[in-house]
Amino acid sequence: MTSLDIWLNILGLALIAFAVRYYPMTLLERFRLPPLVRQGLRYVPAATLAGLVFPALLTHNSRWAGLAHPELWAGLLAALVAWRFKNALLTIGVGLLALWLLRSVGL
Amino acid sequence: MPMTIGVIPFGLVTGLAGLKAGLNVLEITLMSALVFAGASQLVALQLMHSGAAIPLVLLAGLVVNLRYVMYSSAIARHLEPLRGWLKPLAAFLMVDQNFALAMERHRELGSRCTPWYFLGGGVPQYIAWVGSTCIGALLGARVPERWGLEFAIPLSFMVLLIPALRDRPSLAAALVGGLVATALVGLPYRLGLFIGALAGIAAGVWLENRQRGRAWEDAPREMKEGP
Repeated sequence: MTSLDIWLNILGLALIAFAVRYYPMTLLERFRLPPLVRQGLRYVPAATLAGLVFPALLTHNSRWAGLAHPELWAGLLAALVAWRFKNALLTIGVGLLALWLLRSVGL
Repeated sequence: MPMTIGVIPFGLVTGLAGLKAGLNVLEITLMSALVFAGASQLVALQLMHSGAAIPLVLLAGLVVNLRYVMYSSAIARHLEPLRGWLKPLAAFLMVDQNFALAMERHRELGSRCTPWYFLGGGVPQYIAWVGSTCIGALLGARVPERWGLEFAIPLSFMVLLIPALRDRPSLAAALVGGLVATALVGLPYRLGLFIGALAGIAAGVWLENRQRGRAWEDAPREMKEGP
């Protein structure tokens, strides 16, 4: 990958990241979304974020990891901490520590 | 503020991923400063590392960023008071964290404070993001891989996910979205994430409408439109 390739990638990503955040916002001031779409939008964060979390806990190298997967148990513990304490740093800290402990006992 | 701290491990990991993909510290830092979209940067860097062509890298970045289309349209109404260059600035500073917080609190904040709350949440996120990717790149290979630091990425998404589970339909949306994305994790360009999100949204809407049952069918149009 040449330096030019890297910069084309960075600039392309920057344009995409801005366009998807800016244009829906400005165009939709003039149009109202249909009720079904607005109802659906409320479930976007839950569905998308779960799609980013679940595979990390359940798969390893794009394959089903089974129950003997330290990420699964560390992640479940972190979910409990996130739910109980609502604290980002504590959740990440406990999750990383649990993963490290589980790996060191050889799970 | 806790959300700002939560972004730091994520930024450190992205800095590391940038080094692995063959970028130098300056390129990594400027990438964060210009793109400011963590998940798409990480996915793009993984593809750049495997030597993917530019159109593929950009397509993957677009797919991961599609959730912003939905965020942007959902928050449009609350950011309407912003004028001039503040609106593109608000769009540029939009991330999962300040979107989720603004949507959660717009009732108590009211229409005048919500845009400023949103912008005020975005600025520290931006500084923390650019700074932490730079530090991640500078620390570079000094952090051994066995520390499992990359696990901080799903954990930081989990911090956002848990408060989004407010009721049964949103729980269903998360379960379906997460499991479908997991089942399709082998698909290229993280298409599984996008398909999973659509399936999860459909599950949430379906369950919400089923819970309302006949009351929903009989409700006048104004009630369905919501506030």
